[in-house]
Amino acid sequence: MRRTKRFSMEQKKARWGWIFVTPSLVFFAVFSFYPIFNAFYLSFFRKNLLSLKPPAFIGFGNYTYLFSSPLFKESVVNTAIFTFGTFVPLLVLSLILAAFIMSRKRFQKFYQMVLYSPAALSSVVAAMIWLLIFDPRGLANQGLNLLFSTSGVNYHWLSNDTMLRLSTIIVYVWKYVGYFTVIFVAGIGAIPNTLHEAALIDGADRWQDFWHITFPLLKPTTLLVSVMAMIQCLKTFSTQYLFTTAGAPRQPINVLTLNIYYTAIKDHSIGRASAMSVLLFLVMLVFTWLQLRLSRTEEVTYM
Amino acid sequence: MKRLSCLLVLALVMSLSLGAHAAKVIEITYWTHTDDNRTAIENKYIAEFEKMYPDVKVKRVVNEASKMGDLVLTAFSANRGPDLFNLPIEQEYGYIMQNRVSPVDYAAIGYKNADALKADYMKGTFEAVTKGGKIYGLPLELTNWCIYINKKIFRSAGLDPEKDYPRTWEQMADISEKLVIRNGDIIMRRGFDFRYPYYLVSLLPMVEQLGGQLISDDGKKAIVNDQAWLKVLKFMKEWGPHGRNLGSPTYPAPRKIWNKDNNDMAMCLSGFYQQGRLRIDNPAFFDSKEWMVVPFPKFKDAVKDVACSYYGHFLMVNAQSSKDKQEMAWKLAQYMLSHPMEYLEVVNIIIPRKDMLSSKEFKANPYMDVFMGDMDRGHSVFLHENGYQFERFIGDAVQAVMLSNVSEQQALATLRQRIQEVLDEQ
Repeated sequence: MRRTKRFSMEQKKARWGWIFVTPSLVFFAVFSFYPIFNAFYLSFFRKNLLSLKPPAFIGFGNYTYLFSSPLFKESVVNTAIFTFGTFVPLLVLSLILAAFIMSRKRFQKFYQMVLYSPAALSSVVAAMIWLLIFDPRGLANQGLNLLFSTSGVNYHWLSNDTMLRLSTIIVYVWKYVGYFTVIFVAGIGAIPNTLHEAALIDGADRWQDFWHITFPLLKPTTLLVSVMAMIQCLKTFSTQYLFTTAGAPRQPINVLTLNIYYTAIKDHSIGRASAMSVLLFLVMLVFTWLQLRLSRTEEVTYM
Repeated sequence: MKRLSCLLVLALVMSLSLGAHAAKVIEITYWTHTDDNRTAIENKYIAEFEKMYPDVKVKRVVNEASKMGDLVLTAFSANRGPDLFNLPIEQEYGYIMQNRVSPVDYAAIGYKNADALKADYMKGTFEAVTKGGKIYGLPLELTNWCIYINKKIFRSAGLDPEKDYPRTWEQMADISEKLVIRNGDIIMRRGFDFRYPYYLVSLLPMVEQLGGQLISDDGKKAIVNDQAWLKVLKFMKEWGPHGRNLGSPTYPAPRKIWNKDNNDMAMCLSGFYQQGRLRIDNPAFFDSKEWMVVPFPKFKDAVKDVACSYYGHFLMVNAQSSKDKQEMAWKLAQYMLSHPMEYLEVVNIIIPRKDMLSSKEFKANPYMDVFMGDMDRGHSVFLHENGYQFERFIGDAVQAVMLSNVSEQQALATLRQRIQEVLDEQ
């Protein structure tokens, strides 16, 4: 007697679910998980990228080298300066811009589109545009000279250590502020109007409404944006790379990703570069875990 | 039935023979960098080569010059490198040291041995690509840099370009001071400026002029002759915004803007190929005879007469390609390079073959005597497996003194420590 296997609706859904996610899983396995595991593996070896010889196992040799390397310390410090220097203005500006957009009755979508457009631009193109602006004869010097009523003062946007760091921060904030503004706009939009109306009936002005209603209820979004911005900043590469190839000094903006690139591609030391990548990965993992944990504890539900 | 079987067998034999023929086709992948003029003539040579060898198909892939090094490296690290490629010799050196390229197949290119090949080229051509008595590349170009001068700008500053051009670095700074135009601190016109990223080609010879070296002859000690290095670093500091403010790495590359003849760059450092680019970018200026080329200067108290180092691009063959591909790749390289005069006239690059170098047509090119004179005064660029790393460290030292106002002593101490660390690791 022939037995026909009957699947419940749940099982059928699960089967179709697997069918749909399998291509993505395969893609991630090949292009993300495999390189991650390979980087972990290679970080314990000394390996020249060009050499045909098998890699030599050196245990934690690459890690101990990195912790005593002044160049690595320099790039950790540069990454920290860039990350904190960028994510604070990104967070504050995007929140202000989102509040401004939501306060407008018309052209909300237009403002969002204008602010978001730099995020759609390639990082290379963005850096090229800003290189022209920061050129000693460019708009940045002209603008500041006009503002301070001076003539011919060179603010050394691409050569002075502090100004160079500031330049990379400006490029990044300009590029991503629109992206995070859109997230804040969505967060503000999710707050029920009834809460604002109740506050207004109770006599709150717009400022009080923002500080006592909008801002506290935006906490999960703020946490999400701050962690996302921080992770994004840790991965910065193109701006620093293009600025250094255009003649800016490397030392003040030698962030971790730039150090990884030079170590692997220019110095062919793939084991050491992998160890750096693993350390960067672990830092980002901590931030991601933090994001998930905080977003769970700070969840807001509107009944 | 019998007839049908015969037909089937015949069809099978025919398809097998066709398959065997198809399998015989050798496909050569050739990776090179962008250069429209060179692409035009090389495509022509490739078509001719494919006619000569009908079983060979050549796939010429053009990559952006700035990305070429990274692309070839990643392809080789994945064991998928092209059969034939070219890169600057500073990059190719690592491929030779790591046995990733095959020695020249002398028989395939019509030579008896290495000596016979060397005899056809300028002395020293193959030094950079020779290991264990074997030659690993054929020269696509050999380049050195001299000083290009815009005569009009010289005259506008009251200078006679024919008489007043800089012979020493000290004169270079003084003449640049006369030529420079500033709006406050901002330089609107530069007299001269360096080619900053290329410290091994143009800055190391300045150190050598004063008796210094990057590493000792035995390869164990970093920085030879501190005084020479300190003097060069001091010179660069004086050149930058914290000194006489004559130039800086953050201004646009001089070589690119010099061609425009926009009264913003009087002198630049470049190779013979600059003339080909000038002819295309600004034919009026090219034909005006308002430019000239003079030798690479030296310091007033130089102990050695060293010009700018020459570097080259060599055609190399992947050691992991099959033997028949290697043989055909060498034949193709040799066929393309057997037209040195066309490369000179169309692309403005010098393939240092003796027959061309001694020809009247070659010598008739503008300022060729200056370039060849400096070639004699100079030597091949410094080569080391960690050469790029060293160049970056020199760059950091120069930028530290020029832009961050770090003392020469401190910059040199950091440079020495970084290079020594790499040497000790080896």
